[in-house]
Amino acid sequence: MALKFLVVDDSVTMRRIVLNSLKAIGHNDIVEAIDGRDALVKLTSDDTINFVITDWNMPEVSGLELVKSIRSNLKISAIPILMVTTRGSKEDIVEALQSKVNNYVVKPFTPQILREKIEQVISSSTA
Amino acid sequence: MDVKTNMDQIFQKLGDLKSFFIFGQNLMPTLQKILDFIKDTIPLLETVNRSISESTSKLPKAAIQIDSVTNATEVATTEILDVVDDVTNDLNTIQSKLNFLKEKLFCQKISLEKLAAKYPNDPDVKELMKNGINPEMINEDFVSVIILASKIQEGMMNITLSLQVQDITSQQLSSVNHLVQSIQKKMASLLIDLGHQEVQTFDYQFPKELTFNAGARYEKNNNSQELADTLVLENHSKKSQKEIDELFANK
Repeated sequence: MALKFLVVDDSVTMRRIVLNSLKAIGHNDIVEAIDGRDALVKLTSDDTINFVITDWNMPEVSGLELVKSIRSNLKISAIPILMVTTRGSKEDIVEALQSKVNNYVVKPFTPQILREKIEQVISSSTA
Repeated sequence: MDVKTNMDQIFQKLGDLKSFFIFGQNLMPTLQKILDFIKDTIPLLETVNRSISESTSKLPKAAIQIDSVTNATEVATTEILDVVDDVTNDLNTIQSKLNFLKEKLFCQKISLEKLAAKYPNDPDVKELMKNGINPEMINEDFVSVIILASKIQEGMMNITLSLQVQDITSQQLSSVNHLVQSIQKKMASLLIDLGHQEVQTFDYQFPKELTFNAGARYEKNNNSQELADTLVLENHSKKSQKEIDELFANK
């Protein structure tokens, strides 16, 4: 399956790093969003996006709010979501999982971890 | 009788009054000392007051400086990432050109061998065979250069990953800025309580919403990731069990 990623992060640096990491593991079809609100606009206007990688702490609409909005919108609710964040406490991870993120990566991460989690999400989505 | 009683009472009261005056006379030096102490502390209190006022007025500047540090590191990180991208692209070009060159040399070797088979006694062909570059001989060099390029590429990727520290520190700085803003508000309120009519307003505009994780840490150990992996796995197991239960319930 060809993957088109939406990378959501308010930090220019982090978007760039996620982008480079995705390219390093062979994924080149990538769209960027600067926060949750921008992501929702892009998701609803581009139905070819089939994977979301999002940060948690963002202005306007946070990553968690974005996840909840995606899951409650029937048109896009099935899109796999990978949360990539600095929040590494048990409470945060549980909250994200309860909001139905498919997998969770704690910053700083390596491309290997990113690849592993993307593969896990895809295999569990297709199973 | 009544007059005597009244007089006794008056004398008693006068006695009390005298005692009070004696007590007052004894108390006077102590009261004077207290007054002197208050007089001495007034300039001190004014200094404290002025100091609070000055500190409060400096806080916006501190907040702006913290914000400018974040912006500067973001610009610098972007510049480093640009250089890393350029180096990575150049390395890709070097690797592909080296592979192309290697392929061409092998083609050349095959052509020379064909030529030598066709003209085995031609001196020019013999010289070509003798002096031409044998790709097998330089294969080791090729491989080592390609390995070196891969190592540099790996180093570039490590630099990219280490630059995640910028995002993490910027969240920590946002957290400090949030704290500065809170302190400034408290101090301004204290100054108003102390009677300052003109408290310098906090004219520095923070972003509408400061978004940060105060607990953000740049740690290369995998403890948090391992915790996340365990919880994700548990969550998937629960989901799977739920699905199985639902399946059986439907039957």
